[in-house]
Amino acid sequence: MNRPFFSRRTFLSDMGMGFTGLALGAMLQRDSLASTPGWHPPSGMPHFPPKAKSVIWLFMNGGVSHMESFDPKPMLTKYAGKTIAETPFASAQDPAKLALERLLVPDANGNQRNLLYPLQTGFQKHGQSGIEVSDWFPHIARHVDRMSIVRSMYTTDSNHGAQAQFHTGRNMLDGEFPTLGAWVHYGLGSLNDNLPQFISLGTREYWIKKDGLYLGPAHDAVPLRIDPANPLDFGKSARPLSSAAQNVSMDLIRELNGLRGVEYPDDPAMAARVASYELAYRMQHALPDALDFSKETKETKALYGLDLAHCRDFGAQLLSARRLVERGVRFIQIQHGGGGAGAWDAHSGLKANHSSLALAVDQPIGGLLADLSRRGLLEETLVVFATEFGRTPGSQGADGRDHHIYGFSVWMAGGGIKGGVVHGATDEIGFHAVENRHYVTDIHATILQQLGLDSRRLEIPGRKRLEIDHGKPIREIIA
Amino acid sequence: MIYNSFHGLPSRSIVAVWGWLALSAPLQAAVDYMKEIKPLLRERCFACHGALKQKADLRLDSAQSIFQGGKSGPALTRGNAGTSLILQRLESADPDEKMPPAHEGEPFTPAQISLLRQWIADGAPAPSDDHAETDPRDHWSFRPLVRPAVPVVANAAWVRNPIDAFVARQQEVQGLTPQSEAPPEVLLRRLYLDLIGLPPAPAAMDGLLREVSTDGYERIVQQLLGDPRHGERWARHWMDIWRYSDWWGLGDQLRNSQKHMWHWRDWIVESLNAGLPYDEMLRQMLAADELYPGDLKKVRATGFLARNFFLFNRNPWMEETVEHVSKGLLGLTMNCSKCHDHKYDPIPQNDYYRLRAFFEPYQVRLDAVEGVTDPNIDGIPRVYDGQPDLPTWRFIRGEENRPDKSAAIPPAVPAFLAIPQPDIRPVTLPPEAWQPERQPWVIPTQLASAQRNMTEAVEAAALAVQKNSGAPAADQAAASVAQAELNTARQRVTWATAEWDSVRSRADAMRAAWEQAASAPDKRRAAVRAERLAAAAKARHGLAEAEAQLAQAVPDKKPEAEKAVTTAREASAAAEKTAAGPVEPDAAFTPIPGARWTPTRFLNSSADDPAVTFPEHSTGRRSALAAWITDARNPLTARVAANHLWARHMGTPLVATVFDFGRNGAQPTHPELLDWLASELISSGWNMKHLHGLIVTSATWRLSSSAAGAAANAAKDPDNLHLWRRHPVRLEAEVLRDSLLALSGELDPAPGGPPIPPAEQNTSKRRSLYFFNSNNERNLFLTTFDAAAVKECYRRDQSIVPQQALALTNSGLVQDAAEKIAAHLAQTTGPADAAPDDTAFIRQAFLLLLGISASDAETAACSRALEAWRALPAGTGGDARIQLIRSLLNHNDFVTLR
Repeated sequence: MNRPFFSRRTFLSDMGMGFTGLALGAMLQRDSLASTPGWHPPSGMPHFPPKAKSVIWLFMNGGVSHMESFDPKPMLTKYAGKTIAETPFASAQDPAKLALERLLVPDANGNQRNLLYPLQTGFQKHGQSGIEVSDWFPHIARHVDRMSIVRSMYTTDSNHGAQAQFHTGRNMLDGEFPTLGAWVHYGLGSLNDNLPQFISLGTREYWIKKDGLYLGPAHDAVPLRIDPANPLDFGKSARPLSSAAQNVSMDLIRELNGLRGVEYPDDPAMAARVASYELAYRMQHALPDALDFSKETKETKALYGLDLAHCRDFGAQLLSARRLVERGVRFIQIQHGGGGAGAWDAHSGLKANHSSLALAVDQPIGGLLADLSRRGLLEETLVVFATEFGRTPGSQGADGRDHHIYGFSVWMAGGGIKGGVVHGATDEIGFHAVENRHYVTDIHATILQQLGLDSRRLEIPGRKRLEIDHGKPIREIIA
Repeated sequence: MIYNSFHGLPSRSIVAVWGWLALSAPLQAAVDYMKEIKPLLRERCFACHGALKQKADLRLDSAQSIFQGGKSGPALTRGNAGTSLILQRLESADPDEKMPPAHEGEPFTPAQISLLRQWIADGAPAPSDDHAETDPRDHWSFRPLVRPAVPVVANAAWVRNPIDAFVARQQEVQGLTPQSEAPPEVLLRRLYLDLIGLPPAPAAMDGLLREVSTDGYERIVQQLLGDPRHGERWARHWMDIWRYSDWWGLGDQLRNSQKHMWHWRDWIVESLNAGLPYDEMLRQMLAADELYPGDLKKVRATGFLARNFFLFNRNPWMEETVEHVSKGLLGLTMNCSKCHDHKYDPIPQNDYYRLRAFFEPYQVRLDAVEGVTDPNIDGIPRVYDGQPDLPTWRFIRGEENRPDKSAAIPPAVPAFLAIPQPDIRPVTLPPEAWQPERQPWVIPTQLASAQRNMTEAVEAAALAVQKNSGAPAADQAAASVAQAELNTARQRVTWATAEWDSVRSRADAMRAAWEQAASAPDKRRAAVRAERLAAAAKARHGLAEAEAQLAQAVPDKKPEAEKAVTTAREASAAAEKTAAGPVEPDAAFTPIPGARWTPTRFLNSSADDPAVTFPEHSTGRRSALAAWITDARNPLTARVAANHLWARHMGTPLVATVFDFGRNGAQPTHPELLDWLASELISSGWNMKHLHGLIVTSATWRLSSSAAGAAANAAKDPDNLHLWRRHPVRLEAEVLRDSLLALSGELDPAPGGPPIPPAEQNTSKRRSLYFFNSNNERNLFLTTFDAAAVKECYRRDQSIVPQQALALTNSGLVQDAAEKIAAHLAQTTGPADAAPDDTAFIRQAFLLLLGISASDAETAACSRALEAWRALPAGTGGDARIQLIRSLLNHNDFVTLR
């Protein structure tokens, strides 16, 4: 037997790296880049000891009103119906402060909304921290002492290109770039060789439908349906085929590939292909199990709201997310709210829109936090609640709010994030982030930090990333 | 503790990582200048203090120049970190002093500074052979292309053509021995898949195998290069590089690329098949509208630029154009200098905007095609210089809301390439280019359509008369419905006739105007009148229809229908009045259009921007740029093209960074071979088929991909950089799907035409390059196998992921193919029941599907599997031979080009 000469690659497959190890295409190509001084592909090891091993990424499509969720602003009610110019907060509309905006696709809605619109729901203090959360999110509110709410987010695209921007860190005017999940997938090895490590659930509406981009399609999220009978594309045979017949086929393929190995020894692509069939086979069996709720108790299912029509779909996605996390899936990206530019896009009828959507997500998310926590999984699982931008303090039409990029909220829980923390602040009408401002890549940096990754060490030759792409971890919310 | 289980490593590995991190602390032994200091300075400082620029006369690209310093004196004092200028500047709090300056990169980290401090404290040791960077213009790819002499090598017997001599020389230097030639069945499969993207026809297999192993190899090569399917195969490669995309947007709104972009795809296929030289292809893609303004077949090539259309904002449109013209055709990352001077190549920021200025005037339109009156149904997307005077501004730090309006940027190319600047001369266009209605098919198409409408109206009227001429109406209401129907039909005839007359009169008037005939003013007036009469006839028809609606209306809809009649009556009266009135002396008619400008929405007004007309002159900028790019003295164009060609034949490029031949790109593995190929491309008249032929007849291309018995080679060159064997290649998505169809005998060979829409793709038997493919609409099977992303795809990925296993195991495409292939094979090797010995079936299947002469062991394994399937309880094993074929389609060698 020859000395194994594809040492780095065989190293990866020996490490049992599953999907990442099998992302051989990207590697085969980049092997020729390996002569670039100082560069080598990621080993799959974290760069420093991690605090979290998995991420559940909850993204509300369309733009959640920060004022009516996690950043209540009583001044809106006090000055309701006044133009911003008539209030003590007139300086919010200083043109110099509005220069952030960079739009890829102009927005027919117009964005500048002058008449302050009162809060459409009440809010209460919760937990020991006494953090105020709107009355539309009572289940999430029970967990404020486990959460860090960042109330000082900003972005730059005031149309829904901001959805892509939140995932890639770049305004779409600059092009399309790999998403956070793809970077995590690229950087970290697998914790379970039977399951994809980067999974996408829910409706992906907007503009960027893939994740890997220049990292390669091997780093795209694998889209799953919450249907144990048919969770995957090509997951079911187009013709009826007994498992006995399939087993004969699997054995034959394995044997024939092995026989070719005499003539073509040390072929890493062949080894990877054989492994990919084994993995596909295992995945076909592991996924239905991961998505099968029959062993969950009635109480657990109720916790996620599976017995309630209005939150059953999202609840099932979150319960799946917990089951996938338990099985070692790294990154589960869940998009909530399909249709148009995203269901939360309440240009009119904000109260009806947000109250019903909140009803659909609040109990499942509260249930997820409770369930992760009682199983001891929250310590190593980072849950992120995000949206592409907030909504205007002023009204659009009679009863809506427009897109708003200058200040909005995101929260995180678990995975070494502090609990009971409010970080950053918007001004009194929720217009501008004024304290500890954070661009979206600071969220990325925080997540990578918790996973033990240094994004600078993941760069690949010819793809120079900018400061803004890397962001800075939000140290104040890290435990 | 969850972390112990990372990749199954014991926890001490984590400890080891910690220990390694701790080493970065400043307590360690001597800092290694070459490994730790110089790379840091290269990354952060060289762009301004190195070979590209010497700000403040300071260079930091060698230890010697650091000691020497610049205007402010030596950058450091050896052994004394405290007084060293470089540290003071790095740590300064004063923004005027601080290095790197704002917007030129982030500050050094404390760890980096302490590393530098320690190196200085240690006395700044550096090896004596440390040298500064060379002149950027002396970078290998920027130097003029000189045809290298073909080396004389020891292994002359192996050499089939000069390619092999260059390869052999490097092998000899490295002490490597090439593997043997691949077996004939592998060579045959390679030739077919590489040159036409389809496997050999089963019936021809035996004859071809004899030929390939005797003296027929070159004949097969020539035959395949002349096969029209060669153009389809290689068009897909160039469509990756040139970013072919069908249109996409939101719903029906076109936002990106253009409708009917397939005309450009067909131009690519046809041009490759016709052997159009590469330089001529580039010229036509960049500027056929200036070079061949009357020749719409050639102007299809400008789809290359039309594809960059973006509805809402000119800047991303221009940026994509600049980025991909420079990356795709020149191997330059001009996009890096949008915001600042290039950090590695001698490309100042202004050069980015200078290149943009060549493209600034162009707009997109759809030109009418023969037989189609509506450009939404078909038309040719193409470019033209619609805004010749639009200035180009440099954006400060690349920010589009900060244009520097002190001076417009003129078109120019990077000066560091020592070729004369393009000679820009405005082009006077022939009338049919800026008056596309003069194309000979435009008016006849409209006339024929008007005539057709007339015939249809007359036929419809005859039917209406027939229908209503039978039994008398049952009652008054039925009678008035019948009357109204008849009237509508009659009015339609009148309208169609008037419309035909209007088209004819307007055509007459247009022709008279083109000829500047004395009759032109009269004809113009006649055309105006005819158009007004047609409008009146149309309004009368509208009224008749409204009346027919009223006659049929149920009681509660009557008021609404009456209102509609009133409106129609008023409209009709107004149109009649206009038609009856005098024709004003300056009245104009609606000309018959020959093209439609593709509207933009840059003004953000929620409506189309004001139309951009078709000027009589083009600026000549793009044709001048095209001439410069394709100038044989341009050192980049041919090198970049040769590298692309090589990569697609060999599975790996000579320059790994195929879109970056700059100083930050990869070095060529075979610099002389690349230069020889590039020279050969130029001297053959940019003949791509010549290069294809050379490459596939070389001993290098014919090498086996096996590493068997080559432990010595593998030890010296594990990554096969020196090509001692062939790189196996995962089949591209299109080749995979097309092969499945071809082997099933199902492939529909029809060439060209509109793309297959997504809804029809699952049942389509056309070649995959004809599938509709845009940013939003991509075929699931093809993307599973790494089909090109339309935004950028300079190299295909060759991923190996489990989803591919699922697609090949479970998809209907593969399962259908298995059934068809098994049936075909049975015809040539005998049906299963008639031939209980399956050996012939197995051997033929191996040959056709895998390019393998099956070994006894392989045959035996298959026989055993056939028995196993047949032994399964009835109804659960399926047809054993179909199962076998399905399994072989999942064999590694089916998806691999060995």
